[in-house]
Amino acid sequence: MTKKWYLLVVLMLIGALTLAACGGGDTEEPADSGDDTTNGDTTMDDGDDHDDDDDHSDGDDHDDDLAGTVELWHAYGTGGAEEEAITAIVASIQEEHPELTINVLQIPFDQIFNKWETEVAAGSGPDMFIAPNDDLGNLSRSGLVLDITDLLDGKLENVVDTGVAGMMVDGQMYGVPESAKAVALYYNKSMVDTPPTTTDELLQAVEDGHILVQNQNGYHLFGFFPAFGGQILDDAGTTACSSGEEGFVKAMQYLVDLKEAGALYETDGGRADTLFRNGEVAMIINGPWTLGDYRADLGDDLGVAPIPGSMNPAGALNGIDGFYINPNTDNPELAVAVALELTDQESSQMYTDMAGHVPIRTDVTSDDPNVAAFAEASANGTPRPQSAAFGNYWGPFGDMVTKVLEGNVTPEEGVAEACGNFQAAIDG
Amino acid sequence: MAAIDKPSGPKAVAGSSWWEKTVDTRTAYAYLVPAFIVMAIITFYPLIYQVWMSFTDYGVRSLNPNSAVYLEPTWVGFQNYADIFSGRISNIMPNFDFWRLLAFNLLWTFSNVIFHVGIGILIAVVLNIHGLWFKGIYRSLYVLPMVIPSLVIAVVWRNMFDPDFGAINQGLNIIRDFAGLEPLRIRWIDETAPVIDFWGLLPLPMSFFAVLITNIWLGWPFMTIVATGALQSVPKDLYEAASIDGASWTQQFFNITLPMIRPAMVPAAMYGTILTFNQFNVIYFISGGGPLRQTEIMVTTAFRLVNEQREYGLAASFSVIIFFVLLGLTLLTNQVTRATESYDDA
Repeated sequence: MTKKWYLLVVLMLIGALTLAACGGGDTEEPADSGDDTTNGDTTMDDGDDHDDDDDHSDGDDHDDDLAGTVELWHAYGTGGAEEEAITAIVASIQEEHPELTINVLQIPFDQIFNKWETEVAAGSGPDMFIAPNDDLGNLSRSGLVLDITDLLDGKLENVVDTGVAGMMVDGQMYGVPESAKAVALYYNKSMVDTPPTTTDELLQAVEDGHILVQNQNGYHLFGFFPAFGGQILDDAGTTACSSGEEGFVKAMQYLVDLKEAGALYETDGGRADTLFRNGEVAMIINGPWTLGDYRADLGDDLGVAPIPGSMNPAGALNGIDGFYINPNTDNPELAVAVALELTDQESSQMYTDMAGHVPIRTDVTSDDPNVAAFAEASANGTPRPQSAAFGNYWGPFGDMVTKVLEGNVTPEEGVAEACGNFQAAIDG
Repeated sequence: MAAIDKPSGPKAVAGSSWWEKTVDTRTAYAYLVPAFIVMAIITFYPLIYQVWMSFTDYGVRSLNPNSAVYLEPTWVGFQNYADIFSGRISNIMPNFDFWRLLAFNLLWTFSNVIFHVGIGILIAVVLNIHGLWFKGIYRSLYVLPMVIPSLVIAVVWRNMFDPDFGAINQGLNIIRDFAGLEPLRIRWIDETAPVIDFWGLLPLPMSFFAVLITNIWLGWPFMTIVATGALQSVPKDLYEAASIDGASWTQQFFNITLPMIRPAMVPAAMYGTILTFNQFNVIYFISGGGPLRQTEIMVTTAFRLVNEQREYGLAASFSVIIFFVLLGLTLLTNQVTRATESYDDA
């Protein structure tokens, strides 16, 4: 008898595991079914009968009556304010266009570009995805995002120039711009009354015990390089550290001084976030994508200011988020139309109000001073270069930041090595 | 059945056609065919395809010939191999040095296997003591590391190594507190200053010891299981005879136990070597190869070439190199330890 019971339990376990495995597979399904998401009967009404009762108050005159299925990938953090925003925006658009279905799939941020590249190169993938323009140069040069210059003609009149420029590579448009992204200085008003405006004031604030936590990498710390006169690449994209090494050395020396004064440097962004959100530290440099989450924890105590400058204003790397279209999509017109809906006045306003996105439309306003501070940070930022050469920045400078801040090398040694490796990589 | 029914006398040999020569083995081949077809499709074809890839500039756009962006891979000969050996891929992997990587990978492998086998045998011998209470409980406890998915193990250990909230630093500090010492804050993962640097040739940061500790914990139970099995087959009368002759406990261990369990332990150690050489999960999910790629091993580097750089051709060459390194290692161990020989042959 016992043997039979044993067998039964084992069989049930196997059955349960099999079912669980199948269940897991189902959630992956949309990623593989790129072929049947946009099938033949999806149409976009190009006729003359414009809907007069269009309550969607956008300035763009794209056609209504969107019908069909569009698959969208995003990389917003699970349960975060950005995810809530896109869910609400998609729901609102689908309500307005009952014939339209938008399937949304979340991909972890560190995997979204890889997955997109692989899927699209293999001939499938979703119709579109939203991400910063981190890799747009490479994606467009390899033909892994669709050139939509013609489809966007005359449809981005309410978008500021930097927004449009962020989606452009070699004069062609490869995405529909959504928002601007540059890091700025968050501070906790219960600890810091007036935010520091110069690097000296920031150092003084840290020395006075207002702890700053920094993400130790070449992205979050980028803004200090232009502040001290360091230019990472010349306009032609052929000379590394084109301003000479002095500005970088000064910036790194300053970051070391900050550390010695008590600033914390973390390689794990989650840890840095937690310290700030728990009120254990007074300041952090981070981007607008965390604004909604920080606001939830700190409420009115949350303040945002531009990163303090030195001889120049700090120039954080300014990225533009946008929707990119899959060259394999059966219906690029529909995908672009949906992307325009997702970035129209109403949607952008929702992104700004719910998730603190920095609008790049002239007709979106925010009375949140924190959003305004981010807008200022973006305006002063260094537009992210889309040249192939810039891709070689991350390795050498990421290593340099680690080595210098860990005290393995002096700022002079570190910068000389990083600029040398950066140049060698550019030269191939 | 045909092979048995058919008379295989001189008559069959006389005709020298293939059909008649294979009269005895024909059925055996027939039975092997289905398995061979499956093996050919799922094992041999990918293997050969990968070797071919390693001689091309295969990239992400070469994945699907029917794709709109398809780019046909071109034959580049030994270019990928030359780029790897000469360190020229440091353009996409800063500070890449093949020989340092290989040296680290070998050091990682051997330091692990020595601990696995040593601790494994020791614990097996201790648990084999006659009359020990609750043997069953200990023996089921030590299979735990083997049944928990290694990804889960890696994530748990990574959190345990956290400098502020991790169990390891907290545990150490409780002990230090008892001893009246100041609390320590060991940065297990992020510390870049090498603990040992072998004259600058092979710096070993703290994270090497973090992944080593984890993998030792992960690896010894398998060796204990093998050793326990081997110990059961050691005749008790050998120990009785030895103790009558006045042999001490250590003499018995080195002159009876070790030689008797060697035939079982050596193949297990070889298997452990190959497994540890390619121990992706522990390295990738605990140290992430960091800091500054100092704890990267070959298989994580190959993964990064595909996942981060989309260099399929280079990664394929890397895997072929890993194959030859492991082949060499196996042949060498086999030669040194005569693992596949039994005592009967000696």
